[in-house]
Amino acid sequence: MTGYIVKRLISAVPVLLGISVIVFLIMAMIPGDPATAILGSYATPENVEKLNRDLGLDKPLVQRYFIWLGNMLQGDFGRSFSLNRAVLDEVLERFNATLLLAGTSFVICSILGVAAGVVSAARQYGLADKAITFAVLLGISIPSFFLGMMMILIFAVNLRWFPVSGMWPIYGARDLSALISHLTLPAIALAVVATGVIARLSRSAMLEVLRQDFIRTARAKGVHERSVIWRHGLRAAMVSIIPVLGIQAGFVLSGAVYIEMVFQWPGVGRMLVDAILKRDILLVQGGVVFVAACYVLFNIAVDVAQSLLDPRIKA
Amino acid sequence: MSFLRLLSRNRLALAGLIVMSVVVLLALLTPILPLPDPDVTNTAERFKKPFSERALLGTDHLGRDLASRLMWGTRLSLAVGFAAAVAAATIGAAIGVIAGFYGGRVDNVIMRGVDMLMGFPYILLALAIVAALGPGLLNALIAVAAVNIPFFARNIRGVTVGIAHKEFVDAARLCGMSNARIIITEVVPNVVPVIVIAMSTTIGWMILETAGLSFLGLGSQPPQADLGSMLGEARSALITNPHTSVVPGAMILVIVMAINLLGDGVRDALDPRLKSGALSRPMPTTMVRRTDPVPQPEGDGILSLRNLQTQFHVKDRIYKAVGGVDLSVRPGECLGIIGESGSGKSVTALSIMGLVASPPGVITGGAVHYKGEDLIGAPYETLRHLRGDRVAYIFQDPLATLHPLYTVGAQLIEAIQSHHRTSTSEARARAIELLKSVRIPNAEARVDNYPHEMSGGMRQRVGIAMALANDPEVIIADEPTTALDVTVQAQILALLDDLRRERGLAIIFITHDFGVVAQLCDRVAVMYAGRIVEEGPTDAILNAPAHPYTARLMACVPELGQGRRQLAAIPGLPPVVDKLPAGCAFADRCPKAASACRSGDIDLGPFGPARKIRCIDPEIPVQEATA
Repeated sequence: MTGYIVKRLISAVPVLLGISVIVFLIMAMIPGDPATAILGSYATPENVEKLNRDLGLDKPLVQRYFIWLGNMLQGDFGRSFSLNRAVLDEVLERFNATLLLAGTSFVICSILGVAAGVVSAARQYGLADKAITFAVLLGISIPSFFLGMMMILIFAVNLRWFPVSGMWPIYGARDLSALISHLTLPAIALAVVATGVIARLSRSAMLEVLRQDFIRTARAKGVHERSVIWRHGLRAAMVSIIPVLGIQAGFVLSGAVYIEMVFQWPGVGRMLVDAILKRDILLVQGGVVFVAACYVLFNIAVDVAQSLLDPRIKA
Repeated sequence: MSFLRLLSRNRLALAGLIVMSVVVLLALLTPILPLPDPDVTNTAERFKKPFSERALLGTDHLGRDLASRLMWGTRLSLAVGFAAAVAAATIGAAIGVIAGFYGGRVDNVIMRGVDMLMGFPYILLALAIVAALGPGLLNALIAVAAVNIPFFARNIRGVTVGIAHKEFVDAARLCGMSNARIIITEVVPNVVPVIVIAMSTTIGWMILETAGLSFLGLGSQPPQADLGSMLGEARSALITNPHTSVVPGAMILVIVMAINLLGDGVRDALDPRLKSGALSRPMPTTMVRRTDPVPQPEGDGILSLRNLQTQFHVKDRIYKAVGGVDLSVRPGECLGIIGESGSGKSVTALSIMGLVASPPGVITGGAVHYKGEDLIGAPYETLRHLRGDRVAYIFQDPLATLHPLYTVGAQLIEAIQSHHRTSTSEARARAIELLKSVRIPNAEARVDNYPHEMSGGMRQRVGIAMALANDPEVIIADEPTTALDVTVQAQILALLDDLRRERGLAIIFITHDFGVVAQLCDRVAVMYAGRIVEEGPTDAILNAPAHPYTARLMACVPELGQGRRQLAAIPGLPPVVDKLPAGCAFADRCPKAASACRSGDIDLGPFGPARKIRCIDPEIPVQEATA
């Protein structure tokens, strides 16, 4: 198992390098030069030139990439001019908040989505199946930012069950219950789309599995239908559900940007949007690379989980 | 044509189509509709409620008419989403076709790149692109199209790889066509339907994503507004004037939902598996719909089938897989059922415990008496208690019939614990004992193996061990040795024979192999087109087959050391069981068929003291039937 994990980690190196190249190239495509963007259009040519030299922008592209990469590997993601702060510090702080939000959402959508898919498949064409299918359709069709706004309107403004926005109360204790009450609405709003997608794919994965011969064997053994579905069916279906969970984790992680905007959640997505609007390129670059790298590592974790679940995959 | 009919049968998809048509039509007509200018501000009239005078949907924070802005915004959102979809599909498909058609290194390099892009959390990639290009609707469009290219590339590549190896492509190559021409004339026409399906399922996403970027302020810039930026601008007034948010938000919801409904409908209509109903899940027991009176138990069999009828209802066709079967087996007896593939022998066996997949299977008549109690239509719990405990199955192909993700030990333990309250350690000891009893060497270690770690013969023994787990009274073995080589087959048959003699098991043994019948079975029933055509003691039938079908079936079997004898295939094919002829089902292939054979049902009548036959012109005189 350790060998397998090491092998997967090594195979992630080219992917991570590829991501860094893609991000670097996208950022290098920027028309005009960043120095002007930073200093504003009234900057003197001398100042622009000096800043370009300070940022290393007078060097050739390839050389700039390797300098950037080398710095990043040493933990130096550069300095955000709009925040006047080290990019990595800012990203790490914001990423904690995003991870809390996205992680909670991911747990919600995995459990609810798989459960809904299994129930739906087990009661195919029954009332529960129809209700779930309709809810799923609604869930994958509603824009998460609109859903978030409606949830604020209903549950925060009208019913006053939850705070309207933010991660912590402005006044009052920053304890767990405060965090949970702030987290509930955004986490659910973020989970809805992914829940729908997971439920849908779980349903079809289950239907596929329930037609297999080994399900008939389980029934012929006299295994109770509940076990046939949840033990035999779901276990086999998980093999095709887990990769979907991995993909959805990416959607939840990056879809958090909308929810962070709606709920004023101090996460990395909101930081990125602000940075884009302020043309703070280093902050965007650093944030994107960091989140993408985390996602790659997460996917390795998914592969490892997959190999634990399916003994046919040679670990 | 049938595609449209199929689509229209799906009412939800039709609803989606209608809604979408209305929205698109309104969007197209927007410029000529009598609407106020969407961008004219009038702060005196700001935040008017919906349904107020001169503003059907009210006004926004700058006093602009919401209805008008909604129409123009919808028009813009649809156009951008559609353009992004077309751009992504075209570029993605081009990449996919090239990668799939040329294969090799080209394919490798392209697909590596595609995989890498797909490894990105993809809204993040769109954000990075917008960050580089700067905020703006066109840039948002480019970003959304770009992040969707890998999806199309990968899908289309898969399809192209399949097409690139088809005969017609080889033929075009042999004709000397250039690669470019083959791609355009042979490959592209075949991938277009796939592109259309992929587009129909993703266009909703693209509209959502462009709306999302606009919502974040990275898409359309004021005063121009698509639905996303309308929602984004309305956010600050969410609490005081929610209608300004609800109007554009609900519109996005309606559009995306209609597209999703339509996309699902298109996909379903084109998926051949859904047409055949192959994606329905089998229910815990076979459906029972008996109209005729249920036959009473008779005879001394522990398990007896009386006039059992099982059908498959697929769409408007009815396949009579089992058309009235009578069978009976006593304790310690082995009954063989023999017939060609499709003769209904497996369906007969599965019907006994309600294991025929349903839908599409339906038991439409007859009875199965176990110790005098009718099992057809028995409550689920009754059947479940008997399954595997009193009546156990051994299936063919144990790689597919054992659960691939549990160890054989776990599966044996489960079989025991489904019927007996025992501790897991006790059950495990019993599982090892069972594996030993079917002569699996080193059972203590093998118990922790997964099915894929065992050989075919070993797996089949595990299947038998599982059937024996609860000391059943009846074992139904459905071609348990077909997938095995001859020596393993002989061992397993010997094993079953021992078990039957030691434990007084009743065995129903299904096979298409006369050699197996001769070795194991006391009596044999020959099935053809869902019915038994001949039944009796094995020796008697093998020595002197009475039904023309039995005789011809036996003539198909080569015999070792008997050279010279001509092997005779039976001319023609078995009838399709949804169009059974009147009278004898074998008449069309029978050299002796007379008009009387086709005129009416022929009963399975007695033939001598111990045999039965469904034929009016037997191969041998009835006096020889006792032989």
